[in-house]
Amino acid sequence: MAYQPNIAPPKGLIRFFRWFCDPDLVEELEGDMIELFEERSQSSIAKAKTLLVWEIIMLFRPGIIRNFDENKNLNNYGMIKNYLKSAWRSFMKYKTFSAINIFSLTIGMAACMVIFLFVKDERSFDAFNEKKDKIYRLCEVQSPPGTIVQNVALSMPGMGPTMTAEFPEIETFTRFWNWGDQLLEIGEKRITIENVAGVDSTFFEIFDYPLIIGDPSEVVDEPLDAVVSEEVAITLFNKLDVIGETFILDGDQCIIRGVMENVPENSHLQFNILLNIKSATLNNPDFDTQFGSNFLNTYFILNEAADLDAMAERYPDYLIRNTGDEDANDFYKLFLQPLEEVHLTSMDIEHDYNNYRKFNGTYIDVFILVGIFILIIASLNFMNLTTARASNRAKEVGVRKTIGAIKGQLFNQFIIESIMLSFMALVFAILLTLIALPFLNILVERQLTLLTILTNAQLVLVVLSISLVLGILAGIYPSLYLSSFKPVIVLKGFKSYEKRSLFRSSLIIVQFSLALGMIIATLVVIQQLNFMKNKDIGFTTDHILLLDMNQQTRENYDEFKQTLLNESNILGVTGSGQRLGNNFHQWGFKATQDTGIVRLTPSNVYVDHDYLDVYGIKLIQGRTFSREFATDDGLAFIVNESFAKELGYEDPIGKRVGHSWYPNDSLGTIIGVTEDFNFNSLHYQVNTLSMVVHTDWGYSEMSIKLNGENIQQAVKDVERIYDQFVTDYPIEYQFLDSHFDELYKSDVQMGSVISIIAGLSIFIGCMGLFGLASISIQRRIKEVGIRKVMGASVNELVTLLSKNFAVMILISFLIATPITYLFIAGWLESFAFRVQINPLLFVAGGLIALVIALVTISFHVIKAAQTNPVNSLKYE
Amino acid sequence: MSKISIGEFEEIVMLTVAVLYKDAYGVAIKKDLEKRSKRNVSLGSMRTALKRLEKKGLITSEFGEVTAVRGGKRKRYFKVTPYGKKVLIEVMETRKRLWDAIPDLAFDI
Repeated sequence: MAYQPNIAPPKGLIRFFRWFCDPDLVEELEGDMIELFEERSQSSIAKAKTLLVWEIIMLFRPGIIRNFDENKNLNNYGMIKNYLKSAWRSFMKYKTFSAINIFSLTIGMAACMVIFLFVKDERSFDAFNEKKDKIYRLCEVQSPPGTIVQNVALSMPGMGPTMTAEFPEIETFTRFWNWGDQLLEIGEKRITIENVAGVDSTFFEIFDYPLIIGDPSEVVDEPLDAVVSEEVAITLFNKLDVIGETFILDGDQCIIRGVMENVPENSHLQFNILLNIKSATLNNPDFDTQFGSNFLNTYFILNEAADLDAMAERYPDYLIRNTGDEDANDFYKLFLQPLEEVHLTSMDIEHDYNNYRKFNGTYIDVFILVGIFILIIASLNFMNLTTARASNRAKEVGVRKTIGAIKGQLFNQFIIESIMLSFMALVFAILLTLIALPFLNILVERQLTLLTILTNAQLVLVVLSISLVLGILAGIYPSLYLSSFKPVIVLKGFKSYEKRSLFRSSLIIVQFSLALGMIIATLVVIQQLNFMKNKDIGFTTDHILLLDMNQQTRENYDEFKQTLLNESNILGVTGSGQRLGNNFHQWGFKATQDTGIVRLTPSNVYVDHDYLDVYGIKLIQGRTFSREFATDDGLAFIVNESFAKELGYEDPIGKRVGHSWYPNDSLGTIIGVTEDFNFNSLHYQVNTLSMVVHTDWGYSEMSIKLNGENIQQAVKDVERIYDQFVTDYPIEYQFLDSHFDELYKSDVQMGSVISIIAGLSIFIGCMGLFGLASISIQRRIKEVGIRKVMGASVNELVTLLSKNFAVMILISFLIATPITYLFIAGWLESFAFRVQINPLLFVAGGLIALVIALVTISFHVIKAAQTNPVNSLKYE
Repeated sequence: MSKISIGEFEEIVMLTVAVLYKDAYGVAIKKDLEKRSKRNVSLGSMRTALKRLEKKGLITSEFGEVTAVRGGKRKRYFKVTPYGKKVLIEVMETRKRLWDAIPDLAFDI
């Protein structure tokens, strides 16, 4: 066989070998293999190749394979240590800027945390119910004649049972009938318990209110079965195990079958004692098929396949069949509201009596939005100041690059620095939140706690990742910017890099647009809140004490009233069936027209004769109720202007009208017409209203007008006289103005949150501006010196230096104005009575921002303008 | 007894390096090993053994000159260090002592 010296081993195999082999061993081993291959190929090339493959496979083993991780392992620990060290050094060297950076992020993060807690608290409503996705509340859209169309949370007693029977989609139902405060008798003891309610036996199977003792499926099965809360059990019997104990309610003996945990704060239903709903209707066997009036809440569990729209198509037919009224659908439309929407999406629902702490859900979105805004503003600060200060780090970048750092490494360094700052801010934010929460809790009347986040591993992880992402996002641009410096240029002197400030200016503009928008929004919100507080709602709410009536005060009403009136500090006393501040119950009403009797459904309230006088409600026509006329008790009606208009009489006085149950031949008359006063909240238009006196009905509440000069004494007088007349019931009263404050609580709280956030965002924005001004003015210090030498005055210089900033604010103003206008106009829509948006407010907001910004930078501007040119020019 | 222990394969490789003396490079060691021990030795197993030995300080190595053969790749020549020699002697003597200690009748069955 001939000698073939030039046969080379297959290239691919060798390349593969070179790829995996330790570089230290490559040469000799490759040589060895070539030698062997050449020798073997003398006899058989195929065999040589096979053996070569074999050798290479055998070489593929630890000890020969190179270390693929070598680059990663190289220097990593030391490098990161060095990053942290240089980050810390630059942090300490420029304390002001670092503090601004961290502090603004801290505020942003703290604000977000608080907002998160608030939102989470609101969203947690009713979430403890396992079947929450399947629970629905039955609501109605009511449009009876003579009244405004309204959504109502109430339903009729017959609806629950009959709908469950007729609609296969409905698995089960429970009704919730709030009986308010009830007097319980246990032996000699009499105790008033708040929030007593009647429910169906299925209640504890639908809702998950945990029972301490008792089986959820049977605790309220029979009439007069009761479940009490822990607290009530202790109050009544001083022990927890009260099963089998009894109490008398309304003359009936009730037996306790279960004890439940106190109803959680985040439940829209609130109750202390639950009874089987039939306890109140023992003499009414038709309760389950009773239609007509709406006075309780109905809840359903729907099955998986339920289609709300398909169900809605069958409601009209259902209503006609069950109410026996062909026209039922002209007045009522049913709809189902998911349980999860009850707390946050019920602002347009009236007569919503069992909806604890009802909150306007759109405000939640607003809160989230402003939370994001403030975080953006804070992050922009960070980006802005870091890039603006680039010159401070330029030399460092230059040196690092010269000794071999690549761009990626520098990028990592600055990103790590930014993440570090972000985590420092997080620590401070947690501290700040801890300090601020107790005060905020008072302001928004919540019990928010940071433990919600800290004890939830998942949330902790989320917070940490948000901080991480924030650090990275805020750091990306500065890091890219800094790491892109060319060493030659930056080490020679850092002039050419300083021109690109358009980006920074736009960041400032974004910041100020957001802050400005919030300032303007705050101004409008405050204006609207003031408007609501000060609007003449047509009656007085000052110094009016609302006293809950009970059996004893009702029995001695006249005498009790007279004794009160004898006190010099009590200016007036009157009674009413309902309290002002929400819609009054709507009853049927008859009016005679040329065409015959017309039926309408206005809001109604029965009152004492002197109601209009005590409340200062103004009459436009006719007279008020008087004891002089016997017919004024039940047969005289005073209507408001809207209702008078609705009735369409040319002169309403003396027209024959009456309750729907009055026979047509014995109607009463209209004796007066009042101005439209806002008996409902200002979110709503004034509904049609009819007032009547019914002394024999028994008032549910007494309104006592006190002498404003001497409130404390007057209250004492009321309490003293009350004790003379009432032995069995403790006194319960509230002031009307505080009742009205509650109506607008959601709005006021939103107002305060927006104001705080607006304040904080302008503050953060200004901190950034302060930092930026100091940098940019520092940079122009020689220009200022030269201008001064050439004869510029301090004033001219101040104008010159401030101009840029003023222009930026102006641009922000132009951007913020239209967006804010749209937003604010949308918000005001939710009020039937609202302020006009005043363009001056926008100008005012702009001016405020401008002034704050100019004051912020004035420190640097004036300092620069006053500098002796000798000092700024002598080094060159 | 030295604290460094060497395996049987390592011992043979070292001895082969010593046998080849000035000529102890990869292919030569491999061939000699295969010839004397009558078994196939892959470059991989041999080289890792050499690497281990070198790490233990029992042998040293250096590159030879560039030549025209072997695709121009240099050879790496190995050499037993004095310490390596000491270890080899120790191993041998241990064996010897053991052999000496075996009673004459032990293998007669």
